[in-house]
Amino acid sequence: MKSTLRFLAFASVAAPALFLAGCATGVKNPSGVPVTEMKADERGFVAGTGVESQDLVAVTDKMARGVLGIPEIAGAKVTPRIVLDPVVNETRFPINKDIFLTRIRTQLNEKSMGKVRFLDREMMKTLERERDLKRSGQVTASADPNVVEFRGADFFLTGKLQGLTTKTSAGTSDYVLYSFRLTDARTSEIVWESSSEIKKQGLEDAAYR
Amino acid sequence: MSPRSASSASRRLAIVPLAAVLLLAGCATVPERAAIRTTGDAVVDGNAQRAAAPVQDRALWDFRIAASALRADNDAEARLRLDEALPLVGGILANSADAKRARGLFAAESVKTFIGEPYERVMAFYYRAILYWREGQPDNARACYRTGQLIDSDAEAAEYKSDYVLLDYLDGLASAKLSADGSDAFARAQANAKDRILPTYDPAANVLIFAEYGRGPRKYGGGEYAEELKFFTKDSAAHSATLAVDGRMIELPAYDDLNFQATTRGGRAMDHILGGKAVFKRNTDTVGNIALVGAAIAADSSYQRRRRPDGRIETVGNRDAQTAAVALGAIGLIGKLAAAATTPRADIRMWDNLPQRLSFAAVRLAPGTYPATLEFQDSSGRTLPALTQTLNIQVDPVDRDTVVFLSELKR
Repeated sequence: MKSTLRFLAFASVAAPALFLAGCATGVKNPSGVPVTEMKADERGFVAGTGVESQDLVAVTDKMARGVLGIPEIAGAKVTPRIVLDPVVNETRFPINKDIFLTRIRTQLNEKSMGKVRFLDREMMKTLERERDLKRSGQVTASADPNVVEFRGADFFLTGKLQGLTTKTSAGTSDYVLYSFRLTDARTSEIVWESSSEIKKQGLEDAAYR
Repeated sequence: MSPRSASSASRRLAIVPLAAVLLLAGCATVPERAAIRTTGDAVVDGNAQRAAAPVQDRALWDFRIAASALRADNDAEARLRLDEALPLVGGILANSADAKRARGLFAAESVKTFIGEPYERVMAFYYRAILYWREGQPDNARACYRTGQLIDSDAEAAEYKSDYVLLDYLDGLASAKLSADGSDAFARAQANAKDRILPTYDPAANVLIFAEYGRGPRKYGGGEYAEELKFFTKDSAAHSATLAVDGRMIELPAYDDLNFQATTRGGRAMDHILGGKAVFKRNTDTVGNIALVGAAIAADSSYQRRRRPDGRIETVGNRDAQTAAVALGAIGLIGKLAAAATTPRADIRMWDNLPQRLSFAAVRLAPGTYPATLEFQDSSGRTLPALTQTLNIQVDPVDRDTVVFLSELKR
């Protein structure tokens, strides 16, 4: 009887302990994860197979180096003027397209030591309004506002993102080709072109399949 | 042991299972949520609900609020909510503790982070595409349509994979507007549309009309333990729509049906897991019942009364029966507890303000303001007067398309 009592005592403690364990554990990070600062070229813990910050950094770094190395830029006697044309997204990932050209532009401006200049065509309407105000005398001007001083483009820099996707029961795979080119505004020649390709794959948890 | 001391030991032991039940009752309760005062504004109320909701339900509230905001012409809120949810919904959720718990025996499927069934995820991208197009980004809109078709490629039967008409049709239209070739996408859309002839692309059409009507599917749990995800669908009264504007009658037929999409997806991997949980629950419950009955029978035989040679009646303990009663009682208790704790319940959280039918038309209109009348028709083509809406369409002289969003639903 003593051993029976011991057994029952053990079972009655073990059973609730087991199920309390089922209630209490399995909640990872119940208090959340504090914000941590990461490098832009570091992969975060929120990930997908699409375009992410580490891809943007790698691609734009490569493109900026490429542009600076071509003879039309490196050996130019007059500082070339470049206009950014919007990147075209042909992938299945909606993205902030402007960010690619913005980063290439800032990288070039930082590293080129004035070898290239960019024309701010986004500001044209604002600049034309300002010029009209100067011409009408409503505001002062430090130079003759009737002289056409808006620069024309020597080159256009643009890009395209294209993708290939495969999805099977084994997972999803996405290949993205990032291609950028510099086009001579006078002759339409493509004077420089480069690309970068990234492939990612993954399989979601069975709870989501 | 004397009968008296055995009886008091049994009473003490009886307290132990009672203590176990009380302890487990603490697991079974849910934390109290503060009552939310509703204002009648779907976006305001939705945000209040979202703030109070568990983290794993946030995407669900983002979806609901986005739909309400789009119908209320609140693009900023719709964009904010969808941009909050889409990185989660469009990503690959792996190594998730919530998902692992959901697959476990003792947690319901609804503990996992909500991302929705494929038809719900498709609609999140569909709505975001409308906003991208409005912002003058048809390529990003096209990206949303492509992701939508990929999400729908998960259907069990091949004939239902990527079978949305509008996703391919709008993919091709966006390409045509971007001076690219949309013919492949058009061909796929036409194949999915079957006998309905789709209008050819007019890249110069500057007014894009997205319409939706009817009420979408509702989820519920079927099976013995609500472990089967099922859909309640009701064919809505509105089967088609027309928009009268600028002296023209623009047809808005239903190209896609979310009731159809929800019910043709087929089985999920999670359905097998939930089925396994249901079997475990049923079996452990049966084992528990059998063990407890056995314990009762053994307990009944654990003491016997007999007459001594001197004529007195004495009670004699049957040690084997006592041992069996205790052991079977413990097994029965464990079995019943395991069965009670097993939760095979399917996740029936749902995006409950979705429409049933989706439509689209593209027309050319010169810049200006146009009064318009939107009417809905039943299956016989008769107008449903209670649903008629009047509106103004503003076409601005800008270099982007005017996107008009029309919905039978108010919230």
